[in-house]
Amino acid sequence: MLELDGVCKDWQARVLLRDVNLCIAPGETVAILGPSGSGKSTLLKIVAGLEPMDAGRIRFDGHDITRLPPEQRRFALMFQDFALFPHLDVRDNVAFGLIEQRINGKLARAQASAMLERFGLQAFARARVTQLSGGEQQRVALARALITQPRVLLLDEPFSALDAALRTQLREDFRQRIAAFNMATVLVTHDENEARAMGTRGLRVVDGRLDALW
Amino acid sequence: MNTPQRLALAAVPLLYLLVLLVAPAGRLLAEAGELSVWVPLQDDYLRGRLIWSLAQASITCVATLVLGLPLAWVLARFDFWGRSLVLHGLMLPFVVPTLVAAMGVLTLLGPQGVLRALGGPDLSGSPWLLLYGNLFFNLCLVVRAATQALEQVSGSRVAAARTLGATPWRVFWRIEWPSIAPWLMAAMCLVFLYCLSGFGLALVLGGQSHATVEVEIYTLVAHELQLAQAGSLAFWMLMLSGLAALAYAAAERHLATVQRSDSVPRRRPCGWRQGVSIAGALGVLAVVCAAPLIAIVWRAMGAGLAGWAVLIEEATVQALWNSLRFSVLAVCLATALGLAHAFAARRSVVMRALVFLPFSVSPVAVAFGMLLLYPQWTASLGLLICAYALLAYPFVAQALAAALDAMPTQLAQAARTLGASPWRVFWRLTLPMLRPALRRGVAFAAATAVGEFAVTLFLSRPEWATLTTLIYEHLGRAGSAHRDAALVLACLLMALAFLALLVIEWSATEHFAIHKSRSTARTDVLGRERELGHA
Repeated sequence: MLELDGVCKDWQARVLLRDVNLCIAPGETVAILGPSGSGKSTLLKIVAGLEPMDAGRIRFDGHDITRLPPEQRRFALMFQDFALFPHLDVRDNVAFGLIEQRINGKLARAQASAMLERFGLQAFARARVTQLSGGEQQRVALARALITQPRVLLLDEPFSALDAALRTQLREDFRQRIAAFNMATVLVTHDENEARAMGTRGLRVVDGRLDALW
Repeated sequence: MNTPQRLALAAVPLLYLLVLLVAPAGRLLAEAGELSVWVPLQDDYLRGRLIWSLAQASITCVATLVLGLPLAWVLARFDFWGRSLVLHGLMLPFVVPTLVAAMGVLTLLGPQGVLRALGGPDLSGSPWLLLYGNLFFNLCLVVRAATQALEQVSGSRVAAARTLGATPWRVFWRIEWPSIAPWLMAAMCLVFLYCLSGFGLALVLGGQSHATVEVEIYTLVAHELQLAQAGSLAFWMLMLSGLAALAYAAAERHLATVQRSDSVPRRRPCGWRQGVSIAGALGVLAVVCAAPLIAIVWRAMGAGLAGWAVLIEEATVQALWNSLRFSVLAVCLATALGLAHAFAARRSVVMRALVFLPFSVSPVAVAFGMLLLYPQWTASLGLLICAYALLAYPFVAQALAAALDAMPTQLAQAARTLGASPWRVFWRLTLPMLRPALRRGVAFAAATAVGEFAVTLFLSRPEWATLTTLIYEHLGRAGSAHRDAALVLACLLMALAFLALLVIEWSATEHFAIHKSRSTARTDVLGRERELGHA
């Protein structure tokens, strides 16, 4: 269970997040809606440990993880532009997190290959990530995020970089794959259709607070 | 990286600059203090040196602009066979040691030069030799900058102007010129700075009759022991080169705002006029930039086996060994300093500006200041290596800073969420992605160290002769055997410079492939314009 307790954040003398409280159970997908600049991406980075907060606590399974560095949280964040590593091929991108867990390189790559097969990307294993289309890059980013079996999956506008047809097609594919891993998921988006299709619960950022939508 | 870590990192290059650049420059000013700083303006001879230094730098600026702009336009707007090779070749003067360039000019226009053999006039003793040498070094700089600038001009703006009735000539003046002017301004400042503080070319090609201030300082220190007079001249040099560096920094600030990704498409030349303009452009480049180097190789080939035997002489082997070991040590130090400076400069405008400090202060002034400030170390190898590293490390820092700018912050954040600690992020992500830029910077640094001449003349001992000082020694002796030996040694230095060029261009291609393709993919996906102009 992921718990946010009174999270506050100011940015350039403006209140971005004000007393944000949220609980997310394993298997639950919470969609957070809000316009650009409302602080939803900042909230994801705070949860991931990439951004410091001004006040509040974050707990996971009852343990306070507020001061834990991002690499020790085991929360995977998928970025809007996927943030794939251009100097590594597709398989090494997917294996990156496993190698950081001190898993033997050969074994990590074998697991990455198996993951790529699950995602229908085995043909691109040795390709450079820059050679892939937007949809393929997105699936690689998801495979990379999921392979380490994170405790929480954080998705920052994962479909915004894709065209409308591909977005609808991948949305369902994503939902099924995430469901198979049964973890707490936070989806940040400004598209309400997308939020309703993916989220079991919907919230909107209004003046730095989270209002329940459904 | 948090603030204390960044400050600790910044302290390393700052301390280095303080000890090896700022303090010697300050000591130089103190030396001048014994004499009025106005002496160079009151003394007819010294005033003449100052005026000539400014004049040769200004004439070179105008000449490079007049010749370089049409050349750049041809390279930026036409697609022709060999264009890419020409663009790569434009890097060659950046890595050729000044002494080699000076020899090339002498071989072409000197007393026993090619021009004389063809029945032309003997230009030795005239200012043309130095001006030609300046053109050799700086024309490529202007052509590269202007080509890059013209490639950033918005294609849609040019098309809009054409549809609104502007002729190609009017489009150039009203659309293209305003876009490229900041780039040209920055290039002109650099050309002025290089010509003003250049030493090797001025020493060999200008001689005493057309000695620049840099040569005059060397003569006053090394031959006449007039330290106070040299100090007052060096004060003026520091002021003038500082002003040129400030103008460059001001011009460079505008460069980032004019970048465009919808560049004007290049077209195949059609018609005899366009064919002639391409041939003319290539001809000018060949005469100014390739001819001196070709002349050296040509004359060295004619030296015969006796001439080439200099390569196995003990003095040559020792000089080559000295050049290589000094360069390797200096490059190692320069790499460490460059890394520290680049990471410390990531969010600091001041640190970024300080990278240019070693570029803007003349090597002669620095070496002279060191000589005065650290007399007990003047014959120390450590000081010589440190001085080499001082001149070489800005190349590493500049290349790395540009690559760091091009690296999106999300990559490091993604790696952190995947379990990598800050140190692992540096090792597995930052360093591999910086590798092409690092290689490029190191190659530039190595080329600088191998071809270093001014500092070596001041701080070296006879047994530490490098290839450049050995060439200078041969040039100073009478007889064709010594001239041939100098030519052959120049070929050896050229080979080393060519090796550096290969590494630089290969690294540039790799860096561009990583960042540009990533940018292109993102442009396709997000529909954003994002140009990474650092390659």
